[in-house]
Amino acid sequence: MSARTMQAHPSGEHEAAAAVAHGQSGMPMALVGMLLFIASEVMFFGGLFATYFNARAGFAGTWGPPEGGHIDLPLAAVLTAILVASSFTMQFGVWAIRRGDTGKLKLWTGITLGLGILFLAGQLYDYTELGFGLSDGVFSTVFYTLTGFHGAHVFGGAIGLTVVLARALRGQFSRQNHVAVEAVSMYWHFVDVVWIALFLIIYFLR
Amino acid sequence: MATTTLEPRAGSYHRSWVLDWLTTVDHKKIGILYIVNSFLFFFAAGFLALLIRSELAVPGMQFLDQNTYNQAFTMHGTIMIFLFVVPVLAGFGNYIVPLQLGAPDMAFPRINALSFWLLPLGGLLIFSGYLFGGAAAEGWTGYAPLTSDRFAPGVGTDLWIIGLALVGTASIMGAINFIATIFKMRAPGMTLMRMPIFVWTILVTATLILLATPVLTAGLIALFIDRNYGGSFFDPAVGGNPILWQHIFWFFGHPEVYIVILPAMGVVSEILPVFSRKPLFGYKAFVFATVAIGLLSFSVWAHHMFTTGAVFLPFFSFMTALIAIPTGIKMFNWLGTLWRGKLILATPMLFSLGFLSMFLIGGISGVMLASPPIDFHVQDTYFVVAHLHYVFFGGSVFGVFAAAYYWFPKMTGRKLNEPLGKIHFWIHFIGFNLAFFPMHQLGLSGMPRRIGDYSPDAGWTILNMVSTVGAFMIAVSIIPFLINVVATLINGEPAGDNPWEGNTLEWATTSPPPPHNFDRLPPIHSERPLFFLTQGHGHAVERPEDLVEEEIVDEKPGDIERRPKDLV
Amino acid sequence: MQPTAPRNRLRKMLRVGIPVLLTVLLAGCLLPPDPKTEAGRDVFNLYLVVLALAAIVFIGVEGFILYAVFRYRRKPGDDVLPEQLHGNNKVEVVWTLIPTVIVLVLFVVSIMTLNEVEARSENPGVTIEVQGFQWSWNFVYEDGPTIGPRGNEPPELAVPVGEPVRLILTSDNVIHAFYVPQFLLKRDMVPVNENGTPNDIEFVVSEAGTYAGQCAEFCGTDHAGMVFTVNAMPRADYDAYIAAIEDGETPPTGGGDCETTIDISANNTRFDIDEFEVPADTAFCIAFENLEDVPHNVAILSGSEALFEGSFLNEAGSIIYEVPALPAGDYTFVCQAHIQAMAGTVTVTE
Repeated sequence: MSARTMQAHPSGEHEAAAAVAHGQSGMPMALVGMLLFIASEVMFFGGLFATYFNARAGFAGTWGPPEGGHIDLPLAAVLTAILVASSFTMQFGVWAIRRGDTGKLKLWTGITLGLGILFLAGQLYDYTELGFGLSDGVFSTVFYTLTGFHGAHVFGGAIGLTVVLARALRGQFSRQNHVAVEAVSMYWHFVDVVWIALFLIIYFLR
Repeated sequence: MATTTLEPRAGSYHRSWVLDWLTTVDHKKIGILYIVNSFLFFFAAGFLALLIRSELAVPGMQFLDQNTYNQAFTMHGTIMIFLFVVPVLAGFGNYIVPLQLGAPDMAFPRINALSFWLLPLGGLLIFSGYLFGGAAAEGWTGYAPLTSDRFAPGVGTDLWIIGLALVGTASIMGAINFIATIFKMRAPGMTLMRMPIFVWTILVTATLILLATPVLTAGLIALFIDRNYGGSFFDPAVGGNPILWQHIFWFFGHPEVYIVILPAMGVVSEILPVFSRKPLFGYKAFVFATVAIGLLSFSVWAHHMFTTGAVFLPFFSFMTALIAIPTGIKMFNWLGTLWRGKLILATPMLFSLGFLSMFLIGGISGVMLASPPIDFHVQDTYFVVAHLHYVFFGGSVFGVFAAAYYWFPKMTGRKLNEPLGKIHFWIHFIGFNLAFFPMHQLGLSGMPRRIGDYSPDAGWTILNMVSTVGAFMIAVSIIPFLINVVATLINGEPAGDNPWEGNTLEWATTSPPPPHNFDRLPPIHSERPLFFLTQGHGHAVERPEDLVEEEIVDEKPGDIERRPKDLV
Repeated sequence: MQPTAPRNRLRKMLRVGIPVLLTVLLAGCLLPPDPKTEAGRDVFNLYLVVLALAAIVFIGVEGFILYAVFRYRRKPGDDVLPEQLHGNNKVEVVWTLIPTVIVLVLFVVSIMTLNEVEARSENPGVTIEVQGFQWSWNFVYEDGPTIGPRGNEPPELAVPVGEPVRLILTSDNVIHAFYVPQFLLKRDMVPVNENGTPNDIEFVVSEAGTYAGQCAEFCGTDHAGMVFTVNAMPRADYDAYIAAIEDGETPPTGGGDCETTIDISANNTRFDIDEFEVPADTAFCIAFENLEDVPHNVAILSGSEALFEGSFLNEAGSIIYEVPALPAGDYTFVCQAHIQAMAGTVTVTE
């Protein structure tokens, strides 16, 4: 019955209205989704950082690794440099595909993935050298939880990069169609920023 | 597909029907799955509530031992909140939001299906503790260090943690979906300030879920590490801080309260105008109040922790009191909507009015609890139990039933039986008040919550008995509802597209809607795009064509005041 | 349609009757217990103010809902739309102010009362450490005895009337909460790490008497059984009470009546006796005295199954356990913290 009434009022608008489609304009839907996902991840790490600050504020004695253990600032600084560099290489890849340069996209994505794996390998090596375990007191618990969950996110990002690289090698991206590259790069930058925050808080604000 | 000539055999047809539901990515089917799944958990958790109330009816332990009792109230709270109230409202949101937006589906249909299917999985994991030496028994708030492996060695608590993390992940994915849908898939002409109020409340709710739930996930992970890998986040014996858990839990937990109540407010704000035959009074104020509640909800968590001695009381008391202002505005808006309306007291309206009067009580007791000295007396007593049930049950669950009666015709094409609906409402309403109003007094006289037994000398026996009778009345009231649903599905009154003369877009398509939702959409110039289309039809207006020509220009507040006089 | 006369009367009845009825209902109940402390009286008065505000809001809103339901109900066949009122800025501003004023008033009076409740005197008359454990209490008097659970009797917290009593609230396991409804006061007993300070509360009891108290923070299996009583008495009685306990006597008030009392003391991680005999099927008492600052208790075992577990004295102090009746036979009694070193035989004879 409403349809009948509508017909009594011809205005070009309803024809257009029927053609509502996903992501009709503005930012692609996938990027909106990724941004929202990152917002939730910010809160997740916010929660973990809160546990860090709470533990530190309530700690009696010197805050830091337990006796017999240490944290390796030089190695962490190298890892930071690797991850920051990988953010740049990722962005070079994005800029490349925005120009339609699929060759450069493959190159930069590959380099980014390599840097990511290097970072993870470096972190695992770091863990074996520190001389303390997760259950050795409050500092140890928050240290391993924060860096471990960040590492897990780097791992997730590396999987995303692998998918992007595989799709790039199959020639599935073009200047017009490369939402997945943009989405993974957003995520990668986010993971990088979390690490910088972690690095500053754990290694500098002691 | 309609032209396919292959005739499926009867057996394979049946299987494909099941498979179809299991693999669907249609927001409407997923919405119904959400609702059905939530009601199954509602019945399970309701059964636990009856166990609790039976045990408390008289002093002494009659049916349960202390441990079983503790498991019962823990599971009752966890399941009711995480697997009934939140998902059932998400289910209505899933079904209705794309329709109200004039969209063909949610933004990410497959993620939508995934976020649904994680729910029963998480719920069953939480419940499965019963099979492995006992479910979690530390209360739905799971306060540390009672949840540590020292005091709760059972695997039930680990299952509770994992199940909650799954349910939380599901709701985060659902929230992303809602926000993306609302921002990206509105019909042409539907600006933000022309969105139906239910969509607004879902938008704010989804934002709260998106920002609050990950914090709980972080806390659950920390707890899991404490329990299983020797971590020391929360256990003071190894340098941790049990209060940290409360901060994390309530930083999530208080927004959670609004996650639970806002969509119900949205439902009621859809129903009251339709059944008063007026627009919502003060749409803009209502939107701003909703957003304000959302913002404030992140600064009030510690009012759950007044008695811990670990929080700055004046700040959290003040922020909590502030929430009463936008809430008060909403209450006045609802009353303003009723004022000089022409009220049709159908079942959805009864449940909405029930929501107003019951949520009011929950709101008032909430403001009382915002006062630290009063909180010192009634915190962790039955006063709080009364308060939270007036908000969750008197508020949200009344909203859920209002939504069920209101949108059932849209979902099934059939209208639920009115007399049965009214019987349901009245038994429900009276039972609810019998069950929960006495708890205010029990709490004021000092009965702590979460006790399975109390002294016969305490003077709490009569009120507890009344409360138990009320709880069973609520259970009884569900029977006419279920009969109604089944009978209506079999042989109910056909509803037509728009049985209630609703004004939002879900009523502009068939009941139930086709898979793609809309063949065509009306122009949208206000939050009530169907108003002139339906109200100009068959009532006082003789020539709807003229009206439509002239009036669907731009419905803005200000223009509208003179229009009804033309109508009349 | 003009309302008919009976309808009018009904409406008038409702308009007057419902608020009156509700006021009576609200006044008759919804009150905390009569407060027995000075600050509790302040809280009670604050509560009355808040309840009055609440009642006004409640009656106003519920009254309007009822009014609207009766007054604005659509008559059958009435298809005319009501005025499509979208809002009114002036009205909305006013009704934004109403809750604002109410909550600001509430906030100010609450904070004023809060200052009363949270006031601490420089020299409280008594300072007592309240230790919560799963699932009972120890009351450790500063420079005085420790009073714990006595068998099945809830432990008793003796305090003097009319002077400030300071309680230090500690727990070494999970969170408990100290709650005496008639004091209108509760506070969590949070286990703290080495950097934390335990909560404390202070009150002045205004009236002698015994008041029930209970743990209010869920603390595990037997949370419901974690009760105690406060015994408030004049200063002289209080001094006598404490002196009696320090002398190892049953305090003048309360305490169980035991036909048989066995005296056991613990020192240097040894019991002073290694056997005792009690009659079968008769409850008896153990007056246990811990002479050192090492946790000890007395438990009675049959094989490895504990028939009775006395609560621990974590430091020097005394306690009277009420042991339920045992069937005839031979049992062992141990300190559960030192089962190897501290054990003896119980002979239960017919």
